[in-house]
Parts: sequence; C-alpha cells; structure tokens
Amino acid sequence: MSVRDVLSPFTAWKNLFRDPVSIADPLKRQAAPRYRGFHQNDMEKCIGCGTCETICQNGAIDMLPVEGIPTKQGDSGLRPRIDYGRCCWCALCVDVCMTQSLTMSNAYTWVESDPDKFRFTPGVDKKHWDDAELGYVRPEGHRLTGELRVHMPEMEPDVRIGSFAEIVDGYSVEQAVLEADRCVSCGLCVATCPTHMAIPQYIAAIRDGNYDLGLKLLYDSNPFSGICGRVCTHKCETTCAARHEGDPIAIRWLKRHIMDQVTFDQITRVVGQPAASTGKKVAIIGAGPGGLTAAFDLAKQGHSVTVYEALAAPGGMTRWGIPEYRLPYDVIDRDVDVIRSLGVDIRCNTRVGKDVSLEDLRNNNDAVLLGLGLQLGRATRIPGSDHPDVRKAVDLLRQATANEDFGTPRQAVVIGGGNVAMDIARTLARLQKTAYGEVRVTLTALEDINHFLADPEEIKEAGEEGVIILDARGPQQVVVEDGKVTGLKTWRVKAIFDEQGRFAPSYDEADEQFHQGSMIVEAIGQMTDASLLGDELTERLTWNRGRIQIDAGGRTSESWLWAVGDMVHGPDVVTAVADGHRVAASMHANLVLKEQSK
Amino acid sequence: MTEGSHGIDRLRGKATLREILEVATGFEASARDFYKDLTPKVSKRIRYLVEELAAEEQGHLDLLTALAQRTDIAEQVQQEIQRTASDSKFSDCLHVPDLGEQPDDQAVLQYAMGREHAAMGHYGELADTTPEGPIRDLFKFLASEETKHKLDLEKIYYEVVHRGGGV
Amino acid sequence: MSYTPDRSQYPAKKADGTLDIDLTSGKYLKLWHGPNHPGITGNMSVELTVCGDEVVDAKTHVGYLHRGFEKLMERRSFIQVFPIVCRVCVPEPDFNEYCYAAAVEELAGIKVPPLADWIRTLILEMGRVNSYMMYLGGQAGAFGLGVIGQWTTYVRDLMLDRFEELTGARIYHMFIMPGGVRDRLPEGFEQRMEETLREIESTLKDVYDVMFCNAVFKKRSVGVGYIDPALMDAYGVTGPNARAGGVAKDVRRDQPYLVYNELDFEPVVGKDSDIYTRADVRRRDVTMSVDLIRQILAKMPKDGPVMAVTPNVLHWKIPRGETYIRGECSRGEYGYYLVTDGSGFPRRINVRGPSYTHAVALLERMIVNLNISDVAGLMVSLHTYPPEIER
Repeated sequence: MSVRDVLSPFTAWKNLFRDPVSIADPLKRQAAPRYRGFHQNDMEKCIGCGTCETICQNGAIDMLPVEGIPTKQGDSGLRPRIDYGRCCWCALCVDVCMTQSLTMSNAYTWVESDPDKFRFTPGVDKKHWDDAELGYVRPEGHRLTGELRVHMPEMEPDVRIGSFAEIVDGYSVEQAVLEADRCVSCGLCVATCPTHMAIPQYIAAIRDGNYDLGLKLLYDSNPFSGICGRVCTHKCETTCAARHEGDPIAIRWLKRHIMDQVTFDQITRVVGQPAASTGKKVAIIGAGPGGLTAAFDLAKQGHSVTVYEALAAPGGMTRWGIPEYRLPYDVIDRDVDVIRSLGVDIRCNTRVGKDVSLEDLRNNNDAVLLGLGLQLGRATRIPGSDHPDVRKAVDLLRQATANEDFGTPRQAVVIGGGNVAMDIARTLARLQKTAYGEVRVTLTALEDINHFLADPEEIKEAGEEGVIILDARGPQQVVVEDGKVTGLKTWRVKAIFDEQGRFAPSYDEADEQFHQGSMIVEAIGQMTDASLLGDELTERLTWNRGRIQIDAGGRTSESWLWAVGDMVHGPDVVTAVADGHRVAASMHANLVLKEQSK
Repeated sequence: MTEGSHGIDRLRGKATLREILEVATGFEASARDFYKDLTPKVSKRIRYLVEELAAEEQGHLDLLTALAQRTDIAEQVQQEIQRTASDSKFSDCLHVPDLGEQPDDQAVLQYAMGREHAAMGHYGELADTTPEGPIRDLFKFLASEETKHKLDLEKIYYEVVHRGGGV
Repeated sequence: MSYTPDRSQYPAKKADGTLDIDLTSGKYLKLWHGPNHPGITGNMSVELTVCGDEVVDAKTHVGYLHRGFEKLMERRSFIQVFPIVCRVCVPEPDFNEYCYAAAVEELAGIKVPPLADWIRTLILEMGRVNSYMMYLGGQAGAFGLGVIGQWTTYVRDLMLDRFEELTGARIYHMFIMPGGVRDRLPEGFEQRMEETLREIESTLKDVYDVMFCNAVFKKRSVGVGYIDPALMDAYGVTGPNARAGGVAKDVRRDQPYLVYNELDFEPVVGKDSDIYTRADVRRRDVTMSVDLIRQILAKMPKDGPVMAVTPNVLHWKIPRGETYIRGECSRGEYGYYLVTDGSGFPRRINVRGPSYTHAVALLERMIVNLNISDVAGLMVSLHTYPPEIER
C-alpha cells in the first residue's frame, strides 16, 4: 500500500472530459455484412426439398404447402416455415440449402404484438428485410453435402469399340457408399420415378451395407431393377436436389450396385413365394417389361400366368432393341428368371395370331393382357427409301441380338436422333470395326443437338466411338445409282421447337448435303403391330388417338382385355414397369370380383 | 377423279367473286367428302385422324356458306377480281390422290399436309388481290387457318413418324 | 500485507471429525448466498453457516441452471450438436465449439485446413480477452468498484463488433464447425482489430490505475482467498487460479494445440495465490492475448480453404471411439470427452468446465473463515461460470 494506491484511483475523473461511447440510437445500428439475422427465401430457387427442415436441430422449420406454389416435377410445392420461438440462428439451414435459396438478411429488429407472427414463411410472408442486400449467405466453397458424383469407371472408347462387352464397370462397395453418402433423402426423386421406387431408402441401405433391405426395397416396386439399374431413363436424376449445385446422385448406378452385389438365391429368398393358388388363369401377350411386371404381380397373388412371346427369348425391347454393351443378356435373364421362379410360364417362339389365336386365349383364360410394345419401325418414305438396303433400326437391332448376319455395310448413314439411332449407330460401328477395322457411320437427325432425344451420354459415347453426328439435317432422298444405294441427301432444318416443345421441321433447300453410305438405316418413330387383334376386334375396341383406349387400370373397352406398356404409354422401360403394376392391380381386383360374384 | 376435272373447268370459266366463292366452297366440300369417304376405309386405330380432318374442312365450308348467304356483300361479290396464276392451285388440290384401300396414318398425314400447303398459298394470294371487305377478310382468315392447320399437321407428323411414341 | 488471524481450528471439531455446530444455540446462522445473487456467481448457490460475519461452514449447491445439454447432444446428429455446444458457456462460448469440433475431427479422421486452425486460434484469443474483460468488471464490482465494469464492458463490446463481422454473431458465434470454420476474415478486419486492440490496451492501463493501484481494492483482495499450491493438483486447479500460485500450468504451452506452437509466448505466473494476484495474472493475460492476436494476424496464411471436405452431414456416422480434447480457456483447462459408437449420434459427451472443480469442492473449503462480504469476491476470483458446471 502506498500513496499512489490512494491517489491513482482518482485518475478515473479524466473520463468526465470524454464523449460517451454508447450508441445514441442502437435500433438504427446496421449489423455486420455477414450477420445472421432474419431469414429470406428466394421463391424462384426454392424447390421445397426440406433439407433445411431435416438439419434444423431445434425443429424450428416445418415444410408446408403454400397457396400459389403448385407441386411439380422437382419441386414439392412445400416451403419452409420458421418458428422464431425455436430458431437459434445457427444458419445450418442456409448452409445445407440445396439451391442456396435460403439466406439471412442482417436485419435484427422486428416488433410485433402478436407472438404467433414470429412463425412465418420467408419469401411468402412479406417482411421489411426481404430485399436487404447484406446478411449471411453460404460462404463460397462451404458445403455440408457432397457436391460431385463419384466417377463411374468405364471402358475406354478404343477398347469398347472392339466388342459388345459391357462398357460401364459399376461401382465398387466403397465407391457406392461414397456416392450414396451424398444423398440428402429429400424424396423428390420418388415423386418423379414412374414406379415410385423407395430411392432414398435403398440408397440408405447401401450406406448401411444392408443389401437384403436394399433388394427388398427394389423388388417392392420394380422387378426389373437389374435392367433399370443399367438402362433406365432415370428421370429421378433430373429432379434430384443435388443437381442444383453439383451432380445429381447417380441413382441408376446405385440401383445397379445393389443388383450387382446380390446373388440369384438372395433375390428369390427376398422375393419369396407366391400366395396360395386362386385358380384364376391369365394370359399375357408379350414378354417385355410391362407384361412381365404384371406377370410378377399376378403370380405373387396366386394367379396362374402364361406369357406368350413371339420371339425366341423374353425381355422385349430390352433384349431385342438395346445392344449388349449397354445391357448384357445375362442381366435380363436373371431378372426374368426371378419372375419365372414364381411359376410364371413364359412360352417363347409363340406368336399370337399364328401359333395360337387370341380367341383361344380369351376362351381359356379369365383375363388377357396385351403387352405388344412398339416393334415396328417407321419409314421416312422419302424417294428411294423403298430400296432393300434402306433398313429399319429396330429390325437390324433384333437381327444383331439374334446374331444374324444382315450384311454389315462398309459405310452407313443412320437417320434419327434418339437412343435407338445411337444404339444402331454404335452397333454398326462395332460390327464395322470387327469386320473391316474402321468405323464409318454417319448419323443425321432432324433435331438440333440440344434437342436430341438421345441421352447426352449416348451422344457423347457414340462420338467417342467414331460415329459422325450431324444435327438439324432433314432426309430428302436416298440416292440410288445402278440399283445400289450410294448415300443420303439432306437439307438443313430451319425450324425450332416452340414453347410447348413441339416442332414442325422446315427445310432450307439451299443447304444440301450428301452423305455417302451403302446402307441407310431409318431409326425414327416406332409403332405397334396390332394386327393380331384382327379386323373385327379392332372395330369393336375403343381407340384414343391411335392407341387402344384404356381406363386408369389399363383395361380396354373389352372387359376381358387389358393393355400395358409401350403400346399405350410410349417407349420407356420404367414407365412400362409402373404400368405393369397398375394393370396387375386392376386385373387382380377384377379376378377377385369375378370370384366373389360367382 | 371426276370431281377434280370439274373443278378445273369451273374455275376456268368463272371470274366473279361469287363464282370464286362457289368454287372455294366446292373445294372444301370435296375435301370434306374425301375424308368422309376415307373414314370407313382406314383402320379404326387411326380413324380419329381422318375424322378430325373432315371436321376441319366442314368448319371452313360452314364459314364460306355463311358468307355467301350474307346480302350486304352482294355488290362486292359481283366485282371482278384480277385473276392470278395461283388460282390453279385450287385445282391441283382437287386432284385427290388415290391413297389405296387401307391407307395408314402416315399416308393420310402426308396427303393432308400437301393439301393444306396448297390451300394456304392460294387463299393468301386471293386475299392479296381482293378489294377490302368481308371477302378479303374471309380469304385472309382462311389463309391463316390453313397455315395454322398445316403447322399443326406437321407437328403431328413429326411426333407420330419421327418421335417414336406413336402407333 | 494485512493481518489474517489463524482461524483454522474454528469452529471446533467433534470426535468424529464433523464440525461442532449447534444451530439451535443461536450462535450460528444459516445464510443462502444465491441463487438470486446478482452477478454471474448467482446462478449457483452457496449454503453458508455463519457466526457473526464469519463463515464457519459452506456447502455449494448447483442445479439452478441445468439445461441438460449433454443429454440433448446424445439425441442429435453430429452437425446438430454444433449449434448447441456454445451455449454451455455464455461468456466464452468458442471453447466449446473448438473442443467439440476437434473431438469430432479426431474420431472421424478429418484434417482441418491450416488457415482454419489460425482462425480458430484467433477466435479463441478474442474470446479470452472478452472473458477476462467480463471478469475484471465482476471482480472490481464485487468489491464496490462499479466503474471498472463500465469500462471493460465498453471494450468487450468493441471485441463483440469484431466477432460480429467475423462470425456473423455477437455472443453465440457458431462459427467453428467440425471440419474447419465457416468463413475467412472479412475485408479490412486486421486494421479494425488493431484499433480495437489499442482501445483495449488503453482501457487496461486505466483499469490498472484505478483498480490495481487502489488502496480499497488491495485492502479487500491482498492476502484474501489464498490457495495453497499444495492443493492445486489435489483439487484439479488449473488456469490463472493455479498460475497465480506459481504453478505454471498452461495447456497452450504444455500440450500445444491449433497453432500455439508457432506463437511466441510465456505463461503469466504470479506467486501470492490470493485474489489480488489472480486478478493481476488475468490482467497480464489480456495483454498477452492482445499480443497473440497481433502475432496471429501477422503470421496467418492469407489464402487457402477454411473447411475440410466432410461426409454429408445429414447422415454422418463416426466410427466407434473416444477422445478427450482440451484447451486453455480463460478459467483453466477446458475439455470435451466424446464417445462415439459408430452411429450417427454421439454416445456420450462430457464437458469439463474448469468452474466445476474451482467452484464446487475448492470453494467450499476456501470460504470457511472468510468474511461474508468477501464470499462474492472470492467466487469471482475463482472465475466461476456456473453454466459450465451444469451441462
């Protein structure tokens, strides 16, 4: 203790001459630019995936429908409502938001007399901070979920062109777990999938290494998971929340991964045995995915199912249309064998209308299902197209599957821009490579490259394999000299797709090109060969714009006859599977009804 | 095709608006009848296409008939109009092709597109050479109708034949 | 030094070793210090037995602030725990964020980017300054020097401004996440921080003049609340409480974490182990933190990522394991014990707040024979934060 200790405290008096340090009007104080204040939500960007709701540790966020925001593909129509009585402003919702629609303004004062007002839907309920520019947004590079897809290993172009071996390797367990980890389980994909597969759940099963569960979930909605795991049009991936800031989850490859990991015995164990026999008989015409899915369901319910297939092996277009390098035949065989294991009798090489009559099927069964598919190729009918060396892609693909020699041309021109066109172009490329050592295939399509119907990877891979792809070319004439096809004349297409995605091709005659080739392959539209119906039944049936009219359950105007798959819904495997389930349910309900009314 | 040669003859001799209108009416009627006759011949699967085309032509016919019955345009209808070469396109189209016993949808569509294409051009030129008034409006309207119809048919053709999902 | 009579044998003990206190005699009185006592010490309660104005027995009671954090965490995914942990200790929340994040990172095998480690260190030192500022105000206030609290609150607020611009929040920063930190330093941060540090230094000088060179404060604090250095280990005393008794414990130096290896500092040590020395050690610790912040800003890398790639946090599972992460907070050793069982949730999280050892067992012993009016001052001098006792 000293004199200083007595005097020193009085230095505090110097503060009398200082200005106050407190802020005169704290309510007007602007918060820092990254301040985590009140929420904003950009309605243009929000897809209602609910990831914010999932991550909120306070349970402050509820996903609710909002008037004027409809549910659509890739948007649940729900929007997050935040309860400020629970929110702790941790901003995990902002960090995890898949579209970066959710942000926080730096506003922090809000006065209300009604406490319920503090539960609000940002972006919907107008607030004074809606247009605030400052505030917390997710920092650059800050991601709580995986951004990029695990690379799928596949054969190099120069290797794969030499054979029909499958191109894609499939994920290893480690790769699959990593890819599965990226899924945020929002379920937007489930709504998009035609057969509503339990996608987030089977992806979770992969993460957990529970392949039995994964398999069960697959077979709950899709008995063609092996096939779909390879060639599905994977519309699910176009609505995946992860695509907004990175790659969509490789849903198709993950499905394939489960199927790759399990044995046939494991599948039949999970699928189980059919129910006790109902004594009802069903005939199905066409062993494609639609017909066989219905067969699977009906057999499980205890009905006796016979499938009549005109060609030598079941699978429909998946076997006779899709080349082996995309879908190996043993994958088809395994999927079909599972269906056979339920007692479904598949009679191949049996053409209805020739080997057995439709009338007989009607008389000997309780119900008949048409699953004819789209087997006939359309023709362009341009001059010269009646030459025998102008072929149809579906026919050539069928011959290729049957290992028939259709005379591989040294140079070919393919007309068409869809997956079938790519399939035949790449098939021809492989055959040419084997026969002549070089690839000489030109592909011309009406559509411009951005509107090709083919999958982008098909276009990319065809290009890699040496197929020359020319877009916006309208076929004009097949040039025939001395009785031999020498090539195809095309005009440039001027027209563009309108807002409805419709397109009326019109040509610029001044821009003419000649594409050399000794074979021209038409790979344009396809249609059903419905001749087996016969004139009388065709007349009796009700039709709807060229297709058999069916009700929601696939039943035609004839009470004993149902129709399924491509012939009524257009070409798509997974749509056919979904349809198969729907039709089987309708047939089952009617068979049971028939039994009860006896 | 007796109808067709009749059409040419009739057009050659007539030059008043009323006469042109009569020929146009006849043209629409013959097209409608053509589709109507075709209806039972095509498979029921694609009958909708032919029926729609017949209904479309009937619509045009109704318009022309209603116009011809109006009294206030009588004077204008008497006026001579300058004959143009394009008139002949009417008669070209009156040469309805033989689609065979059971034409398919692609053949019907190709025929219909050809007819619409010619009609579109002809109505357009008629409109250009007709004095202002309800008839000119009618030709303009018909020209735009045929244009729209042709575009629609082309879209349908693309979707049915090129896009795969058809029947 | 002031005169302290030896009261160690008072009150007398009974044959079985318990105190011979008869409450019915009228000689003794039960007095509850807290839980409604103003100030941070009031979130717990000390049951005092007094004789006149002298405390003869004390029993500490906690439970008034229990929020069940550790249990809450067991029901949340690893990312969802992140916003909770800071609430365990209000005045210096960042240690919770760091310890939790580091524990998760260790068990999940995540390597944090270097820049994130520097920013974490910066934040921890900023938090230390703030914690000490609050302490200094509280310590002075407990002995009647109200003005000190106004000054330290002022500079603490300036530091909160820096926190706000760096982390986006003033109190619960929620900035150190498993994997790194949320963001980089904002534009111009270094310069504004330097201005704040100068203001702190100038305020510290005033605090020294008015609080530490003050006869009243010295009279109340010198020689009072003595901790025998021999008790340090037995009672788990750490931090300034230990260093003021000459025990140079400092996790930053003893077991360097983050980037403390690359910083130049020496733990501040005192020798008298009384309230005054503890306050002085903390005052000098602020100076050291200010210096450390300057070093960090000068030495830290200017670029690079601040967040490691983590698994998808929505279903983040961490393999079976356990770890204990510790760090030197303003009150001593702060630690998180994390047990994982391979699931998506922590099996057990235990928070070691230094106040637990300082303010429960040690305090009970130290209060005896103290004057009632010095009890609050003693509790503050142990830098007691009841929230971290009750997790």
